[in-house]
Amino acid sequence: MADLQIINVSKSYGAVEVLRDVNLSIASGEFVVFVGPSGCGKSTLLRMISGLEEAPTGEIRLEGKVVNRVDPAKRGVAMVFQSYALYPHMTAFQNMAFSLTMAREPKAVIKEKVGRAAAILRLERLLDRRPGELSGGQKQRVAIGRAIVREPKVFLFDEPLSNLDTELRVQMRAELIQLHAKLGTTMIYVTHDQVEAMTLADKMVVMNGGIIQQHGTPLGLYDDPDNKFVAGFIGSPKMNFIKAKVEAVRTDAITLSDLGGCSRLELPFRNFDADIREVELGVRTEHIDIAQDAGTTDILAAKVAFVEELGDVTFIHTDLPTGERLVVRSSKARHRGSSTECFVKLDPAGVLLFGTNGERIRSA
Amino acid sequence: MTTDVGLIRTAAPGYALDLSIWTVLKWTVAICVAVVAVFPIIWMINVVFAEPGVPVSINPRLLPTSLSAGIAKIDTILSETSYLHAYYISITYSLLTIAGVLLIGSMAAFEFALFEFPGKRPMFVIVMLSLMVPTAVTLIPTYLLTANLGWLNTMQGLVVPGLASAFGLFMLIQFMRTIPREMIEAARLDGASHFQIYRHIALPMSKNALVTLAILIFMQTWGNFIWPLIVAPSPQMYTVGQVVGLFNAPFSHVTVDIVMAANLLAALPPLIFFLLFQRKIVEGIAMSGSKG
Ligand SMILES: Nc1ncnc2c1ncn2[C@@H]1O[C@H](COP(=O)(O)OP(=O)(O)OP(=O)(O)O)[C@@H](O)[C@H]1O
Ligand SMILES: [Mg+2]
Repeated sequence: MADLQIINVSKSYGAVEVLRDVNLSIASGEFVVFVGPSGCGKSTLLRMISGLEEAPTGEIRLEGKVVNRVDPAKRGVAMVFQSYALYPHMTAFQNMAFSLTMAREPKAVIKEKVGRAAAILRLERLLDRRPGELSGGQKQRVAIGRAIVREPKVFLFDEPLSNLDTELRVQMRAELIQLHAKLGTTMIYVTHDQVEAMTLADKMVVMNGGIIQQHGTPLGLYDDPDNKFVAGFIGSPKMNFIKAKVEAVRTDAITLSDLGGCSRLELPFRNFDADIREVELGVRTEHIDIAQDAGTTDILAAKVAFVEELGDVTFIHTDLPTGERLVVRSSKARHRGSSTECFVKLDPAGVLLFGTNGERIRSA
Repeated sequence: MTTDVGLIRTAAPGYALDLSIWTVLKWTVAICVAVVAVFPIIWMINVVFAEPGVPVSINPRLLPTSLSAGIAKIDTILSETSYLHAYYISITYSLLTIAGVLLIGSMAAFEFALFEFPGKRPMFVIVMLSLMVPTAVTLIPTYLLTANLGWLNTMQGLVVPGLASAFGLFMLIQFMRTIPREMIEAARLDGASHFQIYRHIALPMSKNALVTLAILIFMQTWGNFIWPLIVAPSPQMYTVGQVVGLFNAPFSHVTVDIVMAANLLAALPPLIFFLLFQRKIVEGIAMSGSKG
């Protein structure tokens, strides 16, 4: 149980800046997930928290104490690696007991602690096996067990499930949630899988290019992203983006034109900056509907590119005359394969506005 | 031949034909080489385990004929020369060298392979360069150094100069490089000190390489003739190689079958060693890309 603050932390390898001015506060017992595309610096940040990577600038505070100079083993953090990093020449028991053996704990204590961790992870009958004799999921559990045995203040997971197949991943995800509920320890988890992030996180930290783009609850980020990157990164299929011109600005509404070529849209919006002439609309697939005909000006005409029918939902991928791709989610009717033209209608309540620089424009 | 025809019919024609010709050639060459390599050893055993003169009589034999004659010769050698003492010296020399090279080599390889430190590259280059200097060039300076230390005719004089094995270091570095960085980091997080990581992670994980290196060093030190000859010339420090050398000397008065018996005794430990560790040795030679 420990809270963690990361204050103004930056990191460069030579001339390459990998992390820039990271500030983050993590409460005790929180399950935090770092998510972002490959190479965005998630692992680097995690390794700096663990102490395996030095933090030359800024401060990392654990339970209020600055730990930048504290030896990794003494910080009270335990890490689970993507490659498991189990010691191949030791049995599962010896792997889990390694930290205690190094600390010269008495045999009975070791046995008891490892036994308890093994019980939590249902590993009791595998303790005599070496890593080579374990399946991927079992290895991962041993690796987690090795972390549990140390009774750390913070657990660090670096993409621990990415070597597992889909089914096992879903199962392990559920086990991790239970583990967190049982131990109540602060956990920091790195992944580039946004579904994994959404399902696990109390707090989700979206990173890109070494910068924290936004953090908050998964649904908070889903509904109210700060910028186009976060909006596009979270949610599957991705949010649709459509360029538009600002035609008229009133105090509590604006009118957008040139959507998908020629449509218009009336949006409730307070205090829109009248200097902005161009915006980009972000609309999630569930906020777009198929319309019957081109009755009003807010309806867009589109060509059907292809259709994904998944049974409960149907995703209709359409191309607008401007070349922009618009994915429509339809749960009502199944698509009738013949039509190649369709009409779509945006739900103004689900439309987010972004400036040309990608930053969100919020209604005041 | 009939099976070959069957093979040709079932498999893709050209390929199967190539394969069978290739296989026959390969085996022919291998058998020829094997005969050439094995014959002297068979002959040696043959000469030792026979009444004097029998193997080369008018009616020569290739197989041993008299066990008792062989045992008598071996008995003569063991009782009339200091062969047993030479065994003791050779084995001590080999074991100490093995222990030393493994210890020093593995510790150095651990640092070179898994950590960064100032001057690492130049140091590595110097060590590797020493691999390219032939032993003949370093022999005299090493001798002078050892002599100045007053180590002539001592065990440390035999052993210590051989402990810095660039080859062993190189081999262990290559092996330890394959230890994943995350494993070392996991151990560090688990609270293992630098030395404990070496002792509990790197060393056990390099077991195969260490065993292979031990075997190669054994073969090398057991067969080493020139260094013991110059640094430990006193009879008290004779190695097996030197004793055999005495038997083989041009003016020695012993008969050829006694010489052969001495040779056989010298070849026995490596032979047993080889039979015991055959697979490891082949692996090791393939791994090191040298013939030890
Ligand atoms: N030791 C290093 N030397 C130089 N550059 C490095 C080093 N380690 C990482 N980097 C660079 O830092 C950036 C961030 O790396 P990091 O491993 O943190 O990415 P990541 O977000 O974990 O990606 P992934 O999802 O692929 O694991 C990358 O561009 C990488 O090339
Ligand atoms: Mg990573």
